[in-house]
Amino acid sequence: MSEKEIGKKLDRCLADGVVKLGTGLGLGIVFSVLFFKRRTWPITLFSGAGLGMAYANCQHDLRSHYLLHTSEQQKQ
Amino acid sequence: MAPRMWPFVKLVSKVTIAGGSVYVAYDSGLLGTSEQGSAALEKAKAVVPPALEEWMKYFGLEAQLPTMPKIEFSPVNSWNAGVRWTISRLSEAPTRASEYTNQGLQYIKELIK
Repeated sequence: MSEKEIGKKLDRCLADGVVKLGTGLGLGIVFSVLFFKRRTWPITLFSGAGLGMAYANCQHDLRSHYLLHTSEQQKQ
Repeated sequence: MAPRMWPFVKLVSKVTIAGGSVYVAYDSGLLGTSEQGSAALEKAKAVVPPALEEWMKYFGLEAQLPTMPKIEFSPVNSWNAGVRWTISRLSEAPTRASEYTNQGLQYIKELIK
């Protein structure tokens, strides 16, 4: 993987992390207000889940360069 | 009848709001892949400042907020700037050294004349 590609992927990872953290925070606030009597733990849970999703996406994105796809395996 | 229905109606409306917010988040690509997430962030960056300005104008808060200073420094572009500068100077070093040596030798020759 070239340096430019890694740079772009890391940029995407950071942007995705910000988006998913914000989404988790927002959904956590909604659920906390509606169902859990304004407690803090749903906000923390959903924000953590968002960060975890971003981490998993980043991991998949960085590994995808080295994965052999089925069509390439069939050619071999 | 109505007092009995009220908790049920409350629950249904809460579930509708929560489900709707989850659906909106999913539909706008906020819970998808990295590409969708970064595309959503770019969209938000493009949409939020004009919307904020409009709201400020609507509420008459324009004069109260100080304007954001424009920072020319970009961390993304200057991340490896030091490394790049060092390596480029090192690669030019032999050429520069021979140039300066030649210049020094010419200067000494002219002095000797």
